[in-house]
Amino acid sequence: MTSLPDLNQKIQSAAKRLLAEGKAEVVIGCRQGTTPMTVAPIFCRTEDDCNQLIWSNFAKINLATYLPKYPGKVAIIAKGCDARSAVGQVVEKQIERENLYIVGVACGGLVDVEQIQAREPRPIRAAEEDWATIKLSGDGWSSSLPKEDVLRRNCKTCVSRTPEGVADELIGEPTEALPADDYADLKALAGQSLEEKMAYFKGLVKNCLRCYACRNACPLCYCPVCFVDETRPQWLGKSQDEMDTFTFHLLRAFHCSGRCTSCGGCEAACPMDIKLREFNRLLDEEVQKDWNYLPGLSWDQTPPLTTYRPDDEADFIK
Amino acid sequence: MAEYIVKENALKDFFKALTEGGKRRFLAPAEVSGKLQMIETDPEKVSLDFGNTHQSPKSAFFPQTEKLMAFHKDTAKSDPFVYKPLGLDETAPMVLFGLRPCDARGLVVCDRVFQNNRFTDPYWKSKYESAVKIGLACHDPRPACFCTAVGGSPFGEAGLDAIAFVRDGGLALKTLSAEGGEFLKGLSGLESAEIGAELAEKKQAAEAGMPGPLDQSKVAGAAVMEIYNQPHWKDTADRCLNCGTCTFVCPTCHCFDIQDEQNEKGGLRMRNWDTCMSWLYTVHGTGHNPRPTKTERMRQRFMHKLKYIPMKQDGACGCIGCGRCVTLCPVNIDIREVARQMNG
Repeated sequence: MTSLPDLNQKIQSAAKRLLAEGKAEVVIGCRQGTTPMTVAPIFCRTEDDCNQLIWSNFAKINLATYLPKYPGKVAIIAKGCDARSAVGQVVEKQIERENLYIVGVACGGLVDVEQIQAREPRPIRAAEEDWATIKLSGDGWSSSLPKEDVLRRNCKTCVSRTPEGVADELIGEPTEALPADDYADLKALAGQSLEEKMAYFKGLVKNCLRCYACRNACPLCYCPVCFVDETRPQWLGKSQDEMDTFTFHLLRAFHCSGRCTSCGGCEAACPMDIKLREFNRLLDEEVQKDWNYLPGLSWDQTPPLTTYRPDDEADFIK
Repeated sequence: MAEYIVKENALKDFFKALTEGGKRRFLAPAEVSGKLQMIETDPEKVSLDFGNTHQSPKSAFFPQTEKLMAFHKDTAKSDPFVYKPLGLDETAPMVLFGLRPCDARGLVVCDRVFQNNRFTDPYWKSKYESAVKIGLACHDPRPACFCTAVGGSPFGEAGLDAIAFVRDGGLALKTLSAEGGEFLKGLSGLESAEIGAELAEKKQAAEAGMPGPLDQSKVAGAAVMEIYNQPHWKDTADRCLNCGTCTFVCPTCHCFDIQDEQNEKGGLRMRNWDTCMSWLYTVHGTGHNPRPTKTERMRQRFMHKLKYIPMKQDGACGCIGCGRCVTLCPVNIDIREVARQMNG
């Protein structure tokens, strides 16, 4: 397996080359963060910027989130999920294919800092990482964790760890796709009563602050004005009313159905650790079942729920 | 100024005594949904071993949603509009145990916003003035903590009626205000003791590993527009998602939006936390938005914390160094880094 320093070197070289060749005005990637176990997205415009680029197990958000707001030629250092979201944005006509350059990086999965802290409650003063291990240290102690044990939930069922097929170039040795989500927990949930299901979903969002970090971190949420921010009319109350909060999450999930690439950016951004993907997974399962469609894997397949044909065989549409 | 200890086996009695026989609501760090929060809790469930509560304690005095008034129409009356203020006389006074010194300073910053020589917010005042605030000093500040960089200390005393530290599984306690002294006098579980020397020693030890002062001298001396027009804002804004997490977890962010929710019978006026990261926060009725992009919105938050609040509060920093925004920002925008950029 390519070592992380090697991988970083290759990412930095690619970024510098793309800027020098004029293939991109900016390269979006990640750099080391200011505290242990954090990374910061970086918009590279100079060689110095490029020298800061890294690949990290601690990356949090999906970098494709930045693309629709960026007007010029842009390159993105993309894991499988970032690349799929970028493809989705091209398919949904939010960005121009010719303005986008995808530097695909084979990904071995990201780690969940919450899980790390649950296993290591002592204050963590420093963290080192390689492809398979997270090394932690604090005041007078050090320990290490196998990355596999603290992977983000979405990374455990990733079918697109290597952005093959869609990347303009690929860095690192391809990683095998993992067995897809079998939705076993959701299938069990489907057998429960309406009341039980309602209680389950309301329970998921009971700590929601309505900060909308999930929405802002989501590469699918590019609407210029989100329905929760509409004022004429105002669709939704602003308080912590349970039904308003629940409506936000349900509607957002429906807006994302069949488009979500399971990047987990929403959950990583949520300050309250809400398992937001449960809503999306439920709808992903439906879309996969009915249309056998996985978003972001092809440049010309559009999400089933955004497609309309005048000769559609279904009655309801006529 | 009185000094006490509470032995480990007397802790529960002491916490129960703090409620004055149930007359006060008791708030302390306790676990809720897997996170430690400053909440109304059972004296049996208080945690003494924690970095800091996940969210700041501001919601005890400034809830995320606060009902201000109810209204309805009574057409039988000559003046048919009936208004009823809510929440001002209904709440029992609080006693808060376990406030971290940084958060207590955060409350002081908010207090000067909600109560000053120009305004008094009765909703804040009714809760804040009657509350007894007992701090719990930090022996082991967390990696993202920087209270010492912004004028605080893990053993800081500002905004507190008494400060405690953990000692042999129990507590050592020093009163700080006349109200605190009066309140604690004779409470069950307390034993008089000399703790001054130990407190000073522990304070020094806790501060030793912490960052030195963040230099904000140039920010303090500069004209507002000079900092406002600095080029670094654009770079930080590149990665800012405007998600607002920082504002929701911040102990000194205090902006709110007042909304009426009503049906044909009547309604409620309430205020809800708002966030300057939101596009909606500044948009005018005309559609014009004076903070049109995320650059202006992100800049506003840092200008407010590091320039406007110091200007209005005699130099006091609007950031108290709890580190919550640093830890929870999904794109690692670190206020210390921004403060350094602002200072040139």
